[in-house]
Amino acid sequence: MPHNPYPVSRAPNPGTQMATVAVTLPKLRRRLRSAPAAGRAHFPEFYFVKRIDNSRLVREVDLDRRRELFSLLGLGVLVFLFMLLFAWQHFQCVRNGYQIEQLKAERATREEWNHQLRLEQASLADPQRIDTLARVRLGMVSPKPQQIIRVGGPEPAGVLSSSPELAHNFPASSGEPQHEP
Amino acid sequence: MGQRRPESRAAMPDRSRLERRRLVIGVLCVLWFMCIAARLYYFQVIRYGDLQGRAQRQQQRTIEVAPQRGGIHDRQLNPLAMSLSVDSVYAVPSELTEPKMVASLLAPVLGLDGADLLGRFQSMHSFCWVKRKVTTAEAARVRDLNLKGIYFQRETKRFYPKGDLAAQVVGYVGLDDKGLGGLEFALDEQIKGKPGRVLLASDARRRTFHSTEWPGIPGKSLVLTLDEKIQYITEKALAEAVQRAQAAGGVAIVQNSNTGEILALANEPTFNPNEFGASSAAARLDRAVGWVYEPGSTFKVVTISAAVEEHLADPQELINCQNGSIVLAGHTIHDHKPFGDLSVTDVMANSSDVGAIKLGLRLGEDRLYRYVRSFGLGAKTDIELPGEERGLLKPPQRWSGLTIGEMSMGQEIGVTPLQMVTVFSAVANGGILFQPRIVHDVFLGAHHDALAPATGRRVISEHTAELMRQILAAVVDHGTGIPARLVGYTSAGKTGTAQKIDANRAYSRSHYVASFIGFAPTTRPAVTILVVIDTPVGAHHGTEVAAPVFKSIAEQTLGYLNVPQDNPSRWPQPSPPVPGRSLSQNRGNFAGLLPLDRGRPGVATSPVQKASYINGLSSDSSLTGGTPPTGGATSTVVLGDGPLVTVPDFSRWSARRVAETCEKLHLDLNVAGTGLVVEQNPLPGVKVLSGTNVSVRMAR
Repeated sequence: MPHNPYPVSRAPNPGTQMATVAVTLPKLRRRLRSAPAAGRAHFPEFYFVKRIDNSRLVREVDLDRRRELFSLLGLGVLVFLFMLLFAWQHFQCVRNGYQIEQLKAERATREEWNHQLRLEQASLADPQRIDTLARVRLGMVSPKPQQIIRVGGPEPAGVLSSSPELAHNFPASSGEPQHEP
Repeated sequence: MGQRRPESRAAMPDRSRLERRRLVIGVLCVLWFMCIAARLYYFQVIRYGDLQGRAQRQQQRTIEVAPQRGGIHDRQLNPLAMSLSVDSVYAVPSELTEPKMVASLLAPVLGLDGADLLGRFQSMHSFCWVKRKVTTAEAARVRDLNLKGIYFQRETKRFYPKGDLAAQVVGYVGLDDKGLGGLEFALDEQIKGKPGRVLLASDARRRTFHSTEWPGIPGKSLVLTLDEKIQYITEKALAEAVQRAQAAGGVAIVQNSNTGEILALANEPTFNPNEFGASSAAARLDRAVGWVYEPGSTFKVVTISAAVEEHLADPQELINCQNGSIVLAGHTIHDHKPFGDLSVTDVMANSSDVGAIKLGLRLGEDRLYRYVRSFGLGAKTDIELPGEERGLLKPPQRWSGLTIGEMSMGQEIGVTPLQMVTVFSAVANGGILFQPRIVHDVFLGAHHDALAPATGRRVISEHTAELMRQILAAVVDHGTGIPARLVGYTSAGKTGTAQKIDANRAYSRSHYVASFIGFAPTTRPAVTILVVIDTPVGAHHGTEVAAPVFKSIAEQTLGYLNVPQDNPSRWPQPSPPVPGRSLSQNRGNFAGLLPLDRGRPGVATSPVQKASYINGLSSDSSLTGGTPPTGGATSTVVLGDGPLVTVPDFSRWSARRVAETCEKLHLDLNVAGTGLVVEQNPLPGVKVLSGTNVSVRMAR
């Protein structure tokens, strides 16, 4: 048996389950409150080690507690997943919000562009502009009445009728073509 | 026992120390949580409302969205007014670090005065407009400057793509999108719509990540009865006439004789509603409804209509015009030239004032007044346009002894051009006075407002109206309205030359109002046209100044409206066909005229004889050749000299293809309808002479 500078006492104490191991404590720099003050005698400390052999013990599985544990664990996982899902949804929602606003802005821009094109189209269709282009650039002249060939049947087409008539509006349900604003 | 004491002495202090530490940490934790809880309580409960408000102000902003103003279209749905979103530039002066520099940068870009802009920056703190409703190019240039404290706000701006076309009718809007003139003003409540709101949630970088919209109600759109082509024709003719006459102004109206719908309403001078601020009030005045003038001789149509309706006069009855003068209430009234006996028709044709006064005297004050009111004079027509005048018409109780005579020839009464054109339309359409209308439809999407139907009331009998049409046709035929004769159409109307009232409340001898009001064609009038020229210089009679404008407008308008011509005798006459020459040679004599000759009864289209065959059997089978045409239609085979042409089968052909083929085969073409050919005459396979009329009917 190797020499042990710190003797280990084996104090039988069957009533206790606590195992105590003797270890060598490092030397403390500061004096502990329990350490003897200067000039006092130094008493060795004794530690008791109790070896416990639990190899014969078989741990009994508490199924109820295990079930309880797993239920709790499952519940925790569920809550965690739910919170994860909630957070994901929230951030996804915010991300979609940005995307929607971007698309809305794009739609508004395109609608505005469409309106601008309509305005340009209407400006280009100005009768004065067309008249000037036709006369100046293309050298066209107004037709003489005898050069006009009437096409479209016996009645004048378009805005006129030859007999008095009442003007009318299109009722909402008449199925008449809708005007584009 | 003695060995265990050191253990207990050493362990006990450690445990208690640990426990104390745990206790301290626990207490600290509890305190920490309590502090947090207390802070949370403070923020979440005590200061909830305040902080919530501050957070919302930082993260959310509510923007009022201006409603889209409804468009204004002509009857063919061509846009006359439309709105676009544009940028307005504003500044937050408190954020401007160097206002002077910002003002000096912005002023040249936006065309502003730098000092004025700087003054605005210095006088305001939190907000000031820099320039509202800037152009796209201006906005881009300001964005490029990237100035701190300069922001953009979207607003709608009104554009009038056709410029000054129908400017007085359409009107204009101010900077705040409020209608200030024309229909923009009159129907502002319907056109402007109601604003909406948008709640924007923004992050710390002011990027919007969520928005909630409470959409507004867009304004309703208008469809007018105007036709932009007729409007242009009218405006152009009027502008040329006013310029030629160096007149102060003028007005021209084209009205559908049969419904009262206004097809064109032109004013001169005019203005560009896109820049209405640069125009004068006179240019913005809609003379058609807001100008009262004495109608002069054009009013005689009321006097004579009333006399004929009351059986007090007959068109052929002779009226003694007393060599051009009449004394009434001590005043002598002279004709513009002496007339002897004139028929009622000639009284109108020669515009004899004496004759008109005599007819007015036959009517008497009450009856004349009743007819004047019956024709809608002295009362508003209730057209949708703003600023309408009712005219000037005194009740008979306030008439002087001279009034009946003056009124009979169109003086001592004030009318608007719109009232007068409506009177002539009543004569033209058979005696029904229709309320003039200029708004055809008011709609929003698929919803159309129920507008009151056009109302009309009979003012003279159909027989009287027919007689009046003949009388007015005589004016154009051999009277003062000869310059209003149309090529290809019959026309009727009346000239008018009224003296204006000068500053001394006397009739001026230098300022006149020249007018012509008429309709065409005479038998089945399609349009009534009024032309009034205010204060022409030099030639000042309606005959010289206004009648040619009527002719110009009427010829172009009737052609545009595809109204069948009813008076070929007024075309330039070609030389007659030369015997012995082929048809193709003779065609040269009809250059430019042939299309109108086709199929018109009473007009010799070609010097050939005609024979008919019935049920596909030709009277001369050798002419038809090949398979006789099928079907039971009656066709015509033209016999005579010249090369024979086999008529192709035009079934399902387009008009262009038919026209090209007929041109190649030297066949004349008469087309009816649109689409593809569904019927033709002569039938396919028939051999006809070159130059024969081929009629095709097209359908979709």
